[in-house]
Amino acid sequence: MIRFNWRKALAALLLSVLLLSGATACSKVDNSPYAQVQKESTQRGAKAVAKDAEQGSSFNKFFPSSGQGYTVVFSQEKKGFAEAKLKKDGKDVALLSISDTISLPTAAKKYESATEKLAGYPVLEIGNTQTGILVADRYQVKALSRDPEFTKENRRAWIQKFDLIGLSKLN
Amino acid sequence: MSKPIYEIVDDLPTSGMTVRALKSLDFVVPGHWENLVGFDNTIKAVTQETDPAMIQAIGERAVQLYNDKSQGYQKALWLYNTVDSASGALGAAALANRLGQDISFLGLLKHLAPKPEQAQSIDLAVKLVTEVVAFCLINGIPGDSLGDFLAALGDYGGESLLRMAALIAFDGLVPLGPDFIQKVGAYLNGLSPKELEQNQTFKGVNELIPGDSSEGKLNFIGQSFESVKGWMGDLITKNSLTQEGIVDRLVQVADVSKDKLDYLGAFLDIAVKYYSHTGTQTLARRLIERAVAEI
Repeated sequence: MIRFNWRKALAALLLSVLLLSGATACSKVDNSPYAQVQKESTQRGAKAVAKDAEQGSSFNKFFPSSGQGYTVVFSQEKKGFAEAKLKKDGKDVALLSISDTISLPTAAKKYESATEKLAGYPVLEIGNTQTGILVADRYQVKALSRDPEFTKENRRAWIQKFDLIGLSKLN
Repeated sequence: MSKPIYEIVDDLPTSGMTVRALKSLDFVVPGHWENLVGFDNTIKAVTQETDPAMIQAIGERAVQLYNDKSQGYQKALWLYNTVDSASGALGAAALANRLGQDISFLGLLKHLAPKPEQAQSIDLAVKLVTEVVAFCLINGIPGDSLGDFLAALGDYGGESLLRMAALIAFDGLVPLGPDFIQKVGAYLNGLSPKELEQNQTFKGVNELIPGDSSEGKLNFIGQSFESVKGWMGDLITKNSLTQEGIVDRLVQVADVSKDKLDYLGAFLDIAVKYYSHTGTQTLARRLIERAVAEI
C-alpha cells in the first residue's frame, strides 16, 4: 500500500515536471500580429465554423452560370462557404463566393454601415478588390477581382447574376 | 501544440535543393512559378489587397479556419508532409539532421541505393492519391456534379500544377523512364494488397486513403491512376518532357555527373521535399481565398 502511494507520488511529481517543462517550452514568445488569434483559436472548444452553418453544397445552385465568354468553375465547397472562379480566355478574372455569416457575425455587422443597395440588399465596396452584399441578413455574396480589368461595375453586374431571391429563401 | 500556420508559411525556404529542383521545372507552369513565401506576403499576392488592417483581418480569419480541425486543413498539410518524408525514408534516417540544407550529391551517394522499380511505381501512385485526398480536404468537393469536380481538378495552375509536373518528372520519368505510365499501370495491376501494405510511402499515409481494407485502398489507388494517366500523358507531350531533358536540368541543379543517373531518383527522394513545399503553398492560397471572401 505504502509502495503504491510512493509510486503515485512519483508519478505526480514526474507529471508536474513534465507539465512545467512543457509550459516553458511552449512559452516561447510569439511576436506575430497573429499571436492573439492563434491563442484564442487553439483553445479547447474554439470553432471557426458554426455548427448550424449551411452546407456549402446548398449554395451551389444559386451561383451564376457560364456564359458570354465567361466560365464559372467551382473551386471550393466547405461548410458555410462555396466559391467559384470566373474565367475568361483561360485566365482567372474574379472569384465569386457565398458565405454564411452565422460563423462570423462581424462579417454581417459591417453591412449596418452600408448607405447603398444593390438588387435590394445592402452593398459595400471592401478593400481594393471586393464588392459584397448581405442577403437575408445572413448570407454574404461577394465578387472579388483577380484581374485589374475586372472593375467594380463588373463585380456588381456579376453579383446580380446570382439567384439572390432563391438564396434569400434558403433556411 | 502544432506550429501556427503563419509560422509554417513564413518558414518556407527561398533557396535550397527543393526550390532549385522545382525551378528547373517551372517552364511547365504558364507564366512561370513564383516561389511565394511568407504569410502576409501570400495574403497580399493572393488577394491583391494592400491595407494593413485588411491584411490583418484576412490573416486572422485564415488562422481561425486552419486551427479548426474539422475544416480538414491540418490533415491535408499532414498528408503533404508525410508523403514526402515517407517516400524518402529509405536512406533518410542517416541524413535526417542534414535535410533542408544544401548537401552535395556525392556526399549523399554512399548512403543511397536505387529504389526497386516496383517500390518506385507504388510511390508514384500513392503520391497521386494523396493529391486527390488532400485536394478534397482543402477544397471540399466543389460543384454539384462529377463534371464540376473534374473541372476543378483540371483547373490546376501555379504551384499545384508544378507539384504534378514534379511528380511526373521526379517520381516518374527520371527513375522509371519514358514508359513509366505503362510500367506503373502494370505494377499496380499485379500488386497484391499485402505488397501494398509493405510500401513505405503507403504506410505513411495509409489511414487517410479511402477504402476499408488494403484491397479497397489498392482499388482506389488503381482507379485514381487510371483516371489521371491520360492527363499526365498530355502534360508530358505538351511540355516535351523527356527523361534526358529533366536530367540535364537536374544535373545543373544538383551538380552531379550523368553516369550516376541510377541514384538521381533516390537523391531526389531525400533532398527534395516538393510535396510539402508546394502543398503548403497551395493550402495557404486556398485558405486565404476563403478567408478574404468570408470576412
